Amino acid sequence: MKGWDNVKMKNFLNNIGYFVREAKTTIRLDLTSNIFSLFSTTLIFFILAMVISGWWMSNQVIEVIQGEAEINAYFDEQLEKKDIIELVESMNSIKGVEAARLVGEDEAYGRMAEILGKDAQVLAYFEDNPFHSFVEVKIHLDEMDSVLSHISAMEGVSYVRDNREVLERLHHIAGILELLGYVVVGAVGISTLVIISHIIRQGIYSNREQINTLRLLGAPEMFIAFPFVLEGLFLSAAGGSLAVVLAGFSIKYMYVQMAGPLPFIPLPSQEVLIVNMGILIIGLSACMGIIGSMMGLSSAKKN
Amino acid sequence: MIEAQGVCLKYGDGTVALNDVDLQIDYGEMVYITGPSGSGKTSLLKLLMAVEYPTSGSLRVLGQCMKPNHEIDIQRLRRRIGPVFQEFKLIKGRSAMENVMLGMRFLDIHPNKIKEDAYHALVKVGLAHKLSASVENLSWGESQRVAIARAIARKPALILADEPTGNLDTDNALNILELLASLKDEQTSVVITTHATHLIDDRNLDKLIQVDGGRVCCERLG
Ligand SMILES: Nc1ncnc2c1ncn2[C@@H]1O[C@H](COP(=O)(O)OP(=O)(O)OP(=O)(O)O)[C@@H](O)[C@H]1O
Ligand SMILES: [Mg+2]
Repeated sequence: MKGWDNVKMKNFLNNIGYFVREAKTTIRLDLTSNIFSLFSTTLIFFILAMVISGWWMSNQVIEVIQGEAEINAYFDEQLEKKDIIELVESMNSIKGVEAARLVGEDEAYGRMAEILGKDAQVLAYFEDNPFHSFVEVKIHLDEMDSVLSHISAMEGVSYVRDNREVLERLHHIAGILELLGYVVVGAVGISTLVIISHIIRQGIYSNREQINTLRLLGAPEMFIAFPFVLEGLFLSAAGGSLAVVLAGFSIKYMYVQMAGPLPFIPLPSQEVLIVNMGILIIGLSACMGIIGSMMGLSSAKKN
Repeated sequence: MIEAQGVCLKYGDGTVALNDVDLQIDYGEMVYITGPSGSGKTSLLKLLMAVEYPTSGSLRVLGQCMKPNHEIDIQRLRRRIGPVFQEFKLIKGRSAMENVMLGMRFLDIHPNKIKEDAYHALVKVGLAHKLSASVENLSWGESQRVAIARAIARKPALILADEPTGNLDTDNALNILELLASLKDEQTSVVITTHATHLIDDRNLDKLIQVDGGRVCCERLG
């Protein structure tokens, strides 16, 4: 910045307390509008936080599922033990199969209990073990198609579960969420900037006498403008933080709801998701606040 | 420090407030500007602090050529001036102390010194008992003295006081004029406009400029 030397920097630092007090005074003088702006930005950033979390979640799920180059083959219930062992052996000899292994009922139950973690109590609602034994077939991903057709054609195999269909559907959802994400990011950007720049303009207007006096006394524009930048930063970042808190609770609630009916979905860790989302939203809201108040300042200057 | 040659000021509505003014004020001078109401005294001060610019003629203040479009230089110039506005222009909702300090915050003064100097300035104008009073609750005369304190606390090179005694009783007025006179030294000039010619003390006077109908009609050396 032109003319931004050491003296000015020192003067600026000396006045931080004053700037903060000024920003608070400006907010207090027009409290209703400021509270309204705060709630609008909170709502806007909440929507953004939820869409972004959804996007991340679906991406994470896709990644996990994609990594599992594995299919499950279920067999006829009447099959004898030795037939099952034979079946597993013949599966092992198919080209493209890495390993086929029998997973018993109890093991299937135990695995699910592990996936559910502390939510495993839901399994207690079942009277019998709801899981069947099946053959778990680890395969080479690129030979998925031929292996699938081989195995489904085998005698005794009643049903083959692969995750392609699920993956496709998830891809579709992730695509929609991504598109929605871009739309929402754009909408959030524009509306935050409009709200913040508007409130700053309003603040400048109601302080115009004071601003004029400061100009007559020779105050640099920077000195006059900074409290307003702080006001915008504060409003927007406070809105962002509130939104993160709200979104945090909503995500916790959603996880609890999803753990019941959809326990097999490999969701990312709640803590990581909320922390990342929080950092992103608060950072974004702070930037938007600063840009918005700059816009308010420059538009107020033109008139 | 102030040099005016053939300066005219014509307002947007066509009013000619100043007409062909020649003026010279040197460092360390105490100058009074007198004249009837509407004669152009305030307009002259407005030119000196770049609130208005000459419509014609040339004007230099503290070495700065007064022309529009030198915003940064103009702000720098204003920081060297201690203005006392006719209508005070105090910042509402702040205490007397905060008002005086606000005039100094963007000057290169250490924060502790700002507080100290603001306090001393308020004591000098006789407002030691009103430091934390909000300026809305002050009388006219008290507000005027806060405005004077704000100007002198800045330790400016040029004090421009517009009717600084307009709302004061004779005793207070004399004290203020004496205070302003005491500020003049080799580096500081003091320019005061006033109707109250009877309060002017000839011993504290270097120049008396009379304005009438936008013209400097008489200049007398003290
Ligand atoms: N902004 C303005 N626009 C138009 N005319 C103005 C403006 N300001 C002042 N005037 C006119 O210019 C003339 C000089 O005004 P000025 O304020 O300089 O007088 P003054 O000598 O300070 O008077 P007073 O002693 O009453 O303060 C007056 O006729 C006034 O009406
Ligand atoms: Mg006047």
